[in-house]
Amino acid sequence: MNVTCQDRERILFDGSSEEWAALERHALFCPGCEAELRAWKALSLAAAELRDYREDPALWAKIESSLRKQEPHGDFPRVVKERLRFWAGASQAWQTALVGALLLLLSLSGVYLLTPPNRPGAEQNTFLKSSALAEVERTEQQYREAIDRLAADAKPELDRPVSPLLASYREKLLVLDSAIDDLRVEAGRNPSNAHLRYQLLALYQEKQETLREVLETKP
Amino acid sequence: MSSVGLMPRWGHRVTLVAGQGEPRLEPAENEAGANPMTHVLREDEALAAGCRAGELRAYERLYELQGARMRNLARNLLGSQNDAEDAVQDTFLKIQRGIGSFRGQSSFQTWTFRILVNTCHDLRRSRMRRNEQVRKEREDGPPALEPRAPGASPSLRLALEQALAQLTEHQRDVFLLYEVEGFRHAEIAGLLEISEAASKNTLFQAKKNLRRVLGTPRGVEAGGAP
Repeated sequence: MNVTCQDRERILFDGSSEEWAALERHALFCPGCEAELRAWKALSLAAAELRDYREDPALWAKIESSLRKQEPHGDFPRVVKERLRFWAGASQAWQTALVGALLLLLSLSGVYLLTPPNRPGAEQNTFLKSSALAEVERTEQQYREAIDRLAADAKPELDRPVSPLLASYREKLLVLDSAIDDLRVEAGRNPSNAHLRYQLLALYQEKQETLREVLETKP
Repeated sequence: MSSVGLMPRWGHRVTLVAGQGEPRLEPAENEAGANPMTHVLREDEALAAGCRAGELRAYERLYELQGARMRNLARNLLGSQNDAEDAVQDTFLKIQRGIGSFRGQSSFQTWTFRILVNTCHDLRRSRMRRNEQVRKEREDGPPALEPRAPGASPSLRLALEQALAQLTEHQRDVFLLYEVEGFRHAEIAGLLEISEAASKNTLFQAKKNLRRVLGTPRGVEAGGAP
C-alpha cells in the first residue's frame, strides 16, 4: 500500500493499521509527514503523564460516610428492598397477576370485616354467649325467689327472736343480705364474670343453710 | 503496529502506546475471538444489582474497581485534586439516588462515568460562577508556551494541562476519555451521548488543536509535503 502526503490527514483521523504502517514508511522519506506523525504520537505518549491511579482509602471513607447518611432518605429501608428484590426479576405478566391476586384478597378481607351482622358464625357466638348468661340469670332468679320464700317462712322467728341463737341468726342473715346486695351490684356491672357468680352462689347457699337452721329451731 | 491492551483491576482495557508512541487502534472493533469483556459485563451487572439493592459493599467494590480512574478523570477535567475528590463523592451520592432509574440501556460503567463527567461540568461551572477571579484567569488564558516537543519537556504534564485548557469542553472530554482513560469511541459515544463518528472527529480536532498549541517538536522543520 502506497500513501502520499494528501492521505496523511485522513489516516490520522481514522486510518487502519495497514494505512498507518504505510504512512510510517512514507514518513521515512518525507520530513513534513515525519514531523507531523511524531508530534501526533507524542500527544498519545504525553497523555500517559496525566494518569495517576494511586490508591486513596481516605476518599472511600468519606464517600462511605456520605452514602450512609443519605441512605435513610431512600424510598425504602434496605431490608425491605432486599425482600422485594424478587419483584424486579418477575416478568410483567407475573407482576400483573400478583397485583390482581393481592387486590382480590384485600377486597374479600374488606367485605368480610365490614359485614359482621350477616356472618353466621359470629351470630352463633353472640347467641351462645347471651344464652348462657340468660340461663345463669334465670336460674339465679329462681334460686333467689326460692330463698325468699324460705325467708318468708322464717320471718316470724327472726322478727321476734326468742333466744340469743335466733338473734344471732338474724344478725348473720342481715350481713349475708348486705353482702349479697353488694355482689349483685358488681355482677350487674360484670355480667360475664363467672367468679362473681360463684361468690354470689356461695352466699345464697350460706343464706339458704342459715334459714334452714332457723326453721329447724322452731318448736 | 499494535497497541498493548492491559486488563487492570477494574477489568477495563487501557491501551499503552508502544515504542515511540503508536496510534491507538481499537482491538475490540478489529479483532475477533474470545471476549474477556464477558466477565467484565457480568461484574458490571452484578455491581448494578448490588447498588440497586442498597448494598454498601457494592459501592465499595465500585470504588475499588473504578475509583482511581474516576478520580483521575475528575482531576484532569477540573484541574484540582480537592475538586476531583468532591466530584467523585458527589457522583457516588448521585448513583445511590439515581440507581432506581438505571435501566441497563448502557453499561453500568458508562452510566457511572456519564454522571461523573456531568458532575464535573456542573462543579466547574458553579465554581467559575462563584469565583470571578478564576473566571478571569480562564478568560485570560494560559501563558504562551515555548514551542517544543511535548516528549522533550520536563514539565510535560503542566504543558499538556495548559494546552488542554485551550480546548473546548467537548474536545477536552473526548481527549481525556480516549487517550488518558482508555475508553473506546463506542464507549465515549454512549458516555457523552454522541455518535461514534462524532467522537472520532472530536478527538481528531482536539489533537490538531493541541498540536497547534504545543507547537512544532524541536529540531523538526514544519515542512511541506514531498
